[in-house]
Amino acid sequence: MKHLTKKKIDELNDMAYQIRRMSLDMITYSQWGHIGGTFSQAEILACLYDHVLRIAPDNPQWEDRDCFVLSKAHASPALYAALALKGFIDYDDIYTYCRIGGLEGHLDMLETPGVECSGGSLGLGLSYSAGVAYGLRLKEAFHRRVYCLLGDGELCEGQIWEAAMFAGHHKLDNLTAVVDYNKLMAKGFINELMALEPLADKWKAFGWNVIEVDGHDVEELCNAFHKVKYLESTGKPACIIAHTVKGRGVEECEFNYKWHTHAPSVVKANAFLHELSCTYDKAKGNDLKSAANGGEGDLNYIIEEHEYEVR
Amino acid sequence: MKFDNESMREVFGKTLVELGEKHDALIVMDADLNTSTRTVLFKKRFPDRFVQCGIAEGNMFGVAGGLSYAGFVPFPVTFAAFASRKALDVIFMNICCPKLNVKIPGCYAGVTAGEGGPSHNSAEDIAIMRSLPHMRVIDPGDNNELRSAMNEMMAYDGPVYFRVPKVIPPLLMEEMQAFRWAKGIVIREGTDVSLIGTGIMTSICVKAAEFLEAEGIHAEVIHMPSIKPIDEDLIVKTAKKTGRIVTVENGSVYGGFGSAVAEVLVEKYPVKLDAVGIKDSTFGSAPIRDLLIHHKLTPKDVAERAKNILHAKNVQ
Repeated sequence: MKHLTKKKIDELNDMAYQIRRMSLDMITYSQWGHIGGTFSQAEILACLYDHVLRIAPDNPQWEDRDCFVLSKAHASPALYAALALKGFIDYDDIYTYCRIGGLEGHLDMLETPGVECSGGSLGLGLSYSAGVAYGLRLKEAFHRRVYCLLGDGELCEGQIWEAAMFAGHHKLDNLTAVVDYNKLMAKGFINELMALEPLADKWKAFGWNVIEVDGHDVEELCNAFHKVKYLESTGKPACIIAHTVKGRGVEECEFNYKWHTHAPSVVKANAFLHELSCTYDKAKGNDLKSAANGGEGDLNYIIEEHEYEVR
Repeated sequence: MKFDNESMREVFGKTLVELGEKHDALIVMDADLNTSTRTVLFKKRFPDRFVQCGIAEGNMFGVAGGLSYAGFVPFPVTFAAFASRKALDVIFMNICCPKLNVKIPGCYAGVTAGEGGPSHNSAEDIAIMRSLPHMRVIDPGDNNELRSAMNEMMAYDGPVYFRVPKVIPPLLMEEMQAFRWAKGIVIREGTDVSLIGTGIMTSICVKAAEFLEAEGIHAEVIHMPSIKPIDEDLIVKTAKKTGRIVTVENGSVYGGFGSAVAEVLVEKYPVKLDAVGIKDSTFGSAPIRDLLIHHKLTPKDVAERAKNILHAKNVQ
């Protein structure tokens, strides 16, 4: 088993922290977004982007790259943060989140370098990933791998299991699914609303290797990703079930479905940031108060107040 | 224009409870969105008639078909985007073809999922739902009309799709007018050009007509909540009166409301028509009002389009 150096572990944890900090910035600035599922996957994305994936930030379409698909695209801020930290996009791009011409609230592969799959509608990512994996094998690009990060809630979608059957049947051993098993859906605990368990047995029954890890332990995660590569010889796709905490990092948000879709006020964001051991980055001079309310559609503004340009 | 103090989804949630009191067979189904869609109110009042389906829309609509066949009136509730695009084949096969009594709300319809972007906004739902057999389609203009339409649809034994936008709507009509199938409403009389709106866009038309009036152009404003069946007589009547039609919807004009009006006119009384909406595009990710401005769906934009069509040559 490959062990990470202390330095590398520190770096990965630092990146996870940066991902949370930047995600909170995005969600607060735009007053829209999903804190819970974004925070729960921070370590997973840090490990992928800083240790596992073969990628070239200066050449997002590098023909030898690994492919990462974020199926739970509502957690896009974490991916945007990772892409910014790795240099795929500019740091300042994060302040265009959910604005006209800016970063999509979910994901748009035509607009954002490094995004390999558009998303937002749940349950679609694994089929697409299986297609990429199948194609890479046809092209005999055996060194390239496909990773798909799934939410636990979207495992309710039937298409996930159609894809699982397809990948198992076709022995797509170059495909790795990671389940961000943060235990909550939008409106409550998943196993109370729609029982997922026994989850590992389900994947095994569909012909997958399964590894269960603590999804906030970067060493365990990296070991699992490493193990997946030598499990290729078994001719099976692999599923890493990452046990995580929804909203991890801020006590108020942890395992609290009210923070699935909710943007904090600036005051609250500051408290959150403080809790994430960070002083808020005022040096950027970003005016948080100018953000729209993100609530009901402001028809009153459109009809009564909007100052129209003279054409 | 007066504005309501309640959002349309709140009124939708409350009306579901009211209908639940009257109709024992009414069942509400949820795909993990009950606080967003306000079906949580029904869940609290009638927990035994609330079915949690998880994030699995295809299955939910299939189960809805079965529940209807077993004698219930299910309301499978999710966002308009998922009802129309994700569960389409299930709705076609298990609800529309057998003409089952399922009422399908399209929550966060049109542009009103805002920051959710293309996956959550629904520009295509009117076009898709309108094309399905036996399906009736409603886009209500204000809270009173939404409540009235939900009562009316219970009397129709067949599938209904109705939009529930995420807005606080204006009070479109000073005096409450009951929703009626295939009945449009003349909101303002005019002689030069007809602005025909559906859903929340009629209020945009009303303001556009005020802009036009200030320039001496008398616009007729018609509200068309019942998209299918549509009020053919009123469309022909206003076409004969003004000879110029502008339709306004927050959605794709390809197959959408503009197409529905155009189909009537081409068959019965061809006049020049301009359909305001979006074309070959998506509602990206931004606050709702920014999207309306970006896609040129404001009153001033509608007024401009009306002026352009006034200066255009007629068909004949």
